[in-house]
Amino acid sequence: MSGLRAVVVSADMVTAYGNGMDSCWNNILSGRTAISGLNRFNTKAFQSDYAATIDSLQYHQKDSLVMQMLKPLFDRASVSIPEDAKLILATTKGEIDLLEKNILKGTGETPDCSLTSLLKKVSALTRVKDAGVVVSAACASSSAAVARAAAMIRSKRSDCVLVVACDSVTEFVFSGFSSLMALDKFSARPFDKNRKGLSLGEAAAFVLVMSKTRARQEKREILGEIAGWGLSDDANHMTGPSRESEGLILAIKKALKTAAADKSAIGFISAHGTGTVYNDAMEMKAFHSVFKDKKIPVYSIKGGIGHTMGAAGIIETIIAMKSLREKRIPPTVNLRDTDADARGWVSPEPCPADKRKMALLTNAGFSGINAALVLAE
Amino acid sequence: MAISICGMGWINNEEYGCVMNGMRINYRDSLKGKALSGKEIFSYPVKNFGRLDNISKLTCYAVALALKDAGVKYSMGHKHDIGIISTNKSGSLQSDILYFKDYLDSGRTLSRGNLFIYTLPSSPLGEAAIHFGLQGPLLYVTAPDKPLQAALDTASGMILLDESPAMLAGMAEEDEAVYFVLARSSDSMQHVLCDVTRARAILGKDMIFSKMIKEFSSLKEQRGQE
Repeated sequence: MSGLRAVVVSADMVTAYGNGMDSCWNNILSGRTAISGLNRFNTKAFQSDYAATIDSLQYHQKDSLVMQMLKPLFDRASVSIPEDAKLILATTKGEIDLLEKNILKGTGETPDCSLTSLLKKVSALTRVKDAGVVVSAACASSSAAVARAAAMIRSKRSDCVLVVACDSVTEFVFSGFSSLMALDKFSARPFDKNRKGLSLGEAAAFVLVMSKTRARQEKREILGEIAGWGLSDDANHMTGPSRESEGLILAIKKALKTAAADKSAIGFISAHGTGTVYNDAMEMKAFHSVFKDKKIPVYSIKGGIGHTMGAAGIIETIIAMKSLREKRIPPTVNLRDTDADARGWVSPEPCPADKRKMALLTNAGFSGINAALVLAE
Repeated sequence: MAISICGMGWINNEEYGCVMNGMRINYRDSLKGKALSGKEIFSYPVKNFGRLDNISKLTCYAVALALKDAGVKYSMGHKHDIGIISTNKSGSLQSDILYFKDYLDSGRTLSRGNLFIYTLPSSPLGEAAIHFGLQGPLLYVTAPDKPLQAALDTASGMILLDESPAMLAGMAEEDEAVYFVLARSSDSMQHVLCDVTRARAILGKDMIFSKMIKEFSSLKEQRGQE
């Protein structure tokens, strides 16, 4: 059975906190937010001028924003990635800034900013032989991609899968979220009574997933196990979550089932926690429904690094695995006045994690998409 | 454990059809050049259908035809544990251009949310999920070569691991779409076009759309003669 278990053996990220997992982890633990004034483009017409961006990125240059994030990430990491790894790329808008640039220039030419074009670049960067696939499931893209990687291991279609995820803050995306009135004017406050919306962020990250057997054979350090996963859809609304939460409940139940775990095995929850009124209420309703009266510690890192869209799930997977290893549950950054339905579940302070328990991770996205992962140490 | 194709629906600029039912209708002729209204294909009207982008419209048409071909009934408010996976080569490019140019035309002050929502390649699937009540996994996948094969592989993998009892897998571009209904094979299954391995082999030939439909249709004819 251990050969069918999917474990993460390597991971790295770049977020608005800087390079690396430790930078993200330490900043979240300290409660500091990376969301600040946005000066990449004119925000005068928008709901907000705040986002969690990476200072060193240059807008509308030869390389897209996501490639500027991915290149240094893989310069650091390529030695640990086997060339026989299967490749999955998760993103929502990939290199959309290349299209923006061309339309703004008015050349009349459409650049190759397709997701498969980005996939080819990522394949070359990572030096894996596989041409790979792109998975796009709105803001659940990378948790869905991590789920696919674990499924490939469990079904023996591969014993090594590299999942790469990225998305960036562009005028295209920012204007869109603003038009949907989804942004907080300042910094997102997940699960807060006074939350007003999300803050966009950008990030790139990867996880290298292996069968436990291969990881042991190669004497790899195991960062955590993807024990279960569940994907579902609300089949209800294009941009808003179902108020009944039945889609997320279904995803959580599927994730527990594939992990062969009871809900009592869950020690904490890494929530999607965007800071929008409806998402956070929907999630809390799902958690109340699944866990009943037993209050499980819940946190969201989006008050720290913003909502990194297609990259959100992979960053949250890496942080939740770190939390399992460190036995510490991160705080919910920017939480001041906890909403009534989240009281006793979320905290503005870090707290100790139960040593023997697993983590539940949830994500949701436009089109009513839900993803849940069960993670173990 | 094998996976079977138990329904296949398709549409292009001139025709639509259901492969197992042997239905093939030239709507360009029958509607005298008018656009499809949807009444011909859907069991009940798709809400705000006129506001959907092209790929979403074709996705809904092809899914309706595939479900009809598989004998799966749907109605308003009724939900099914069926997932949906799609692919294409263009992603959401036309919707991306439309949204951003519209935003620029407003002097970069006003963007339209109802155009923005179609700038995700998974959005056409969301429209289909809402109308047909699909509560299973929903994903867009693509690959440099044979993307429809990748969609079929992902869908069959999900059934094999019990992530969903049945899946829709297909492709939708601006001018053509095709969807397959996949389910676990069983002795009681009466309507089967072929197993997924055979379908994979056909898709592996990377044929143009009309040839692919013809090849699957000939499979049905061969089964009829058996």
